[in-house]
Amino acid sequence: MIQFRKFALSKISRIAPRYLPFADVATEDLPLSRLLRLALFQVTVGMALVLLVGTLNRVMIVELNVPASLVGIMISLPLVFAPFRALIGFRSDIHKSALGWRRVPYIWKGTMLQFGGFAIMPFALLVLSGYGEAVDAPAWIGLSSAALAFLLVGAGVHMVQTVGLALATDLVPVEDQPKVVGLMYVMLLLGMIVSAIVFGALLTDYTPGRLIQVVQAAAVITVALNILALWKQEPRDRTRANSIAPVPEFREAWGVFVTGRNAIRLLIVIGLGTMGFGMADVLLEPYGGHVLDMSVAQTTRLTAVLAVGGLAGFALASRVLLRGADPIHVAFWGAVVGVPAFGAIVLAAPFHSVAGFVLGTLFAGFGAGLFGHGTLTATMRNAPREQIGLALGAWGAVQATAAGIAVALGGVIRDLIVAMPGSEAFAAEAPYVPVFALEIVFLALALLVAYPLLRRMAGPEQRAHYVSTKTTDLAAKSVP
Amino acid sequence: MSDPDKIWPTGLTEREAEEVHSYLIDGTRVFGVIALIAHLLVAVSTPWLG
Repeated sequence: MIQFRKFALSKISRIAPRYLPFADVATEDLPLSRLLRLALFQVTVGMALVLLVGTLNRVMIVELNVPASLVGIMISLPLVFAPFRALIGFRSDIHKSALGWRRVPYIWKGTMLQFGGFAIMPFALLVLSGYGEAVDAPAWIGLSSAALAFLLVGAGVHMVQTVGLALATDLVPVEDQPKVVGLMYVMLLLGMIVSAIVFGALLTDYTPGRLIQVVQAAAVITVALNILALWKQEPRDRTRANSIAPVPEFREAWGVFVTGRNAIRLLIVIGLGTMGFGMADVLLEPYGGHVLDMSVAQTTRLTAVLAVGGLAGFALASRVLLRGADPIHVAFWGAVVGVPAFGAIVLAAPFHSVAGFVLGTLFAGFGAGLFGHGTLTATMRNAPREQIGLALGAWGAVQATAAGIAVALGGVIRDLIVAMPGSEAFAAEAPYVPVFALEIVFLALALLVAYPLLRRMAGPEQRAHYVSTKTTDLAAKSVP
Repeated sequence: MSDPDKIWPTGLTEREAEEVHSYLIDGTRVFGVIALIAHLLVAVSTPWLG
């Protein structure tokens, strides 16, 4: 028995690590394949976003005949959780686990929430729309269960993305952060594009059964991809697991965070810039259709144009940042590009120039790519090592809230102008131009707030940092 | 294996084992509740058993 025990123990200790989800602590640098695998969590986030904002939005209104205002409320429910991202990030910073993990438990919980939301969502929507016998059911059942489903998915997405980004920041050295940010954005975009195409194709012949299949398949894929992304990524930290140091309160930690270099100013820039770039997202297609008489196929391709511009922006940002450019400069130039881009979109109406509009859209995507990459990289770089989760949580809170408000505000402004008495007399572009103009204003404000950062960020401290990392190419810094 | 806290046959310490167990329990609870809600909703729209 003793013999067997010894034999089994030695066997297990040799085999087990390969089958356990722990990372080697010793790995010095992260191979790209592992980073790519980690970025899979962004694919599930993109999938959830497309499903909520795109696919189900349409299915609820067109196929299920749910009132558009109710759909709007349901879709914006996850936004309620966006400010809690800072808290989630902070909790993951101080999480104490006997296993020595702090990010994995939160990503896992977020995954479960996402899965749970998707698991009940199709049934909740069918009940909400009064499918089958549900016509006789009291309305609150459908309303509350649909709200619950959306809240669960939203909370899960916020949790997975915040803590996932924090884990990625933990894992890579500072000089590789631009690479990670680029990868994360590209994977998010990829997840959104691929799932939009796949969901669209699967739901062309809509049946309630097909809706259930599609949404629940998304649930299973989410869990599978997130487990794959997490596997053997986070090293175990025994000293943290056994430490008895008192953990700070959120208020204290936040106080420390905001006294950091320009933390608040950077967050304001992120909020203004995200509002500036995000407001037109849902208005570009109707603008092209109503004002420039583009066909449906043409306006659908606009989304692709915007995405291509974004990808180009991420690529360029990764390139110059890896050469040592200041992320704030990159974000600044992204906002600078955005101003003429939206100007071209506005001017496309009087000149009736589809080419100008498409070009404007392309550059709006490009500027948004530069801006998003620059601000996220700056957030990562400025975050103190022990507050990475909090810093990325604050970034996510501001970014997600601003994007949500921007989309809602854009739609509301347009609808208000359309509903104004005597609006029939207005030109076709009247409801859209004020929104695009407002975007230019927001971008200008972002530039104004960001301007003092340009000089301060490149202060002596920063410069020393660049010399100490492998970058000697200081000239690249002035060419964002 | 030099760590005396580690317990046969998993090689986890007692605290680690308890944590792993807590994930199992939490998962079971959450999935149980989710399954219950899903079944209730299906029963509302397409009743079975009568």
